[in-house]
Amino acid sequence: MTSEGLRLTVAAMPENLAVVRQALAGFAEGVGFDDNAVANLKTIVTEACMNAVVHAYPGDEPGPIEVSAQPHSDHMQISVRDRGEGFQPRPAEPGEDSLRIGLPLIAALSDGFEISGAPGDGTEIKMRLAYERADNGTAVAPAPQTVGTSMSIAPGELGRPVLSRVIGALATRADFSIDRLSDTVLIGDAVLAHDADDFSGGMVGIEILDGDGSLDIRIGPLVEGGSDRILAGLELPGGTSLRRLASEVEVKREPSADGPEQEFLRVVVDP
Amino acid sequence: MGPGEISIDRAEGGVAVITFSGEHDLNTAPELRQRLAEAVEDGGPVVVDLSGAAFIDSSIIGAVLDARREAQEQGRGFAVALSDGAHPVERVLEVTNLATTLPVHRSREKAVSEAQAGAEEQAPRQ
Repeated sequence: MTSEGLRLTVAAMPENLAVVRQALAGFAEGVGFDDNAVANLKTIVTEACMNAVVHAYPGDEPGPIEVSAQPHSDHMQISVRDRGEGFQPRPAEPGEDSLRIGLPLIAALSDGFEISGAPGDGTEIKMRLAYERADNGTAVAPAPQTVGTSMSIAPGELGRPVLSRVIGALATRADFSIDRLSDTVLIGDAVLAHDADDFSGGMVGIEILDGDGSLDIRIGPLVEGGSDRILAGLELPGGTSLRRLASEVEVKREPSADGPEQEFLRVVVDP
Repeated sequence: MGPGEISIDRAEGGVAVITFSGEHDLNTAPELRQRLAEAVEDGGPVVVDLSGAAFIDSSIIGAVLDARREAQEQGRGFAVALSDGAHPVERVLEVTNLATTLPVHRSREKAVSEAQAGAEEQAPRQ
């Protein structure tokens, strides 16, 4: 296994299928997938996530869908996991044609898949997709669970198509104008271009909440002073700065899971 | 990528043509089901034109299959159009064997005429 990859966590809601699909498509394009392979990836990931949206969480509060994509030398390993009720096969009911088509689609378009899980333990669908690519490795670390869209990716070029597509999907959903979408993508590009040493563990962690029409972007965890250096890096020629592009900029300190406080940069962008 | 949109037009002979653009999945499936149900209930033949769709998933295919079944039960003509070429939707229809079972026509005009013919064929049985 290589150390590069993408991890993404979204709430199990129909409107997030496009977010996952666009993130994976951007990642696959960055890795070197051709158009057909990207199209197949989009289909199998959507079908796997749809299974989680429809079946994992029967109540009103959607739980997480955790998606990971791990490129290897000749294939990509994709995992779609929920924390719901677990895979419980049952006959399709009338009008549920999609249930009879989804898994066959994954079987036909992937180069192998398996479903694991048990009642109460969630379901994981692992899929393998063969491809050829040029080598341009990066690295990744796990993302925290979240109700927004959470991703963790190495700084640099490979992350740009992923983040720009995720932002594009969320901004479109929030009715952003083209100009505001461009501003938001610009912020994402600048964050990914920032010195990796300012991110704890060398990975760019980004969480985006989009519930109220704005995009609430949380960047981190960062090393001490990382927020200020990111903000300084976004002072652009002509007087443009992140503080002008965003409606709200905040440096936050929050306790980590193992105790010490960590620094985050919070940026809110309005439509 | 573009947000998924669904529009409905009237073609020659009162055929309702439901046109897709952008990407469609479980998020837009309820709207599609609503549009399809209205079109079938309106009484004329129905055409689903997928040529402008950039992506469809199994929930969309399920909605189209259900509408086709409903149309057949009510004696309405029903056809699907998908233009020629390397289309992102084509592969999904091929691997599910729906390209031949629906069947899929290579132009909107052909689909409209087939839907009209289908309606006329079934009309005497009512």
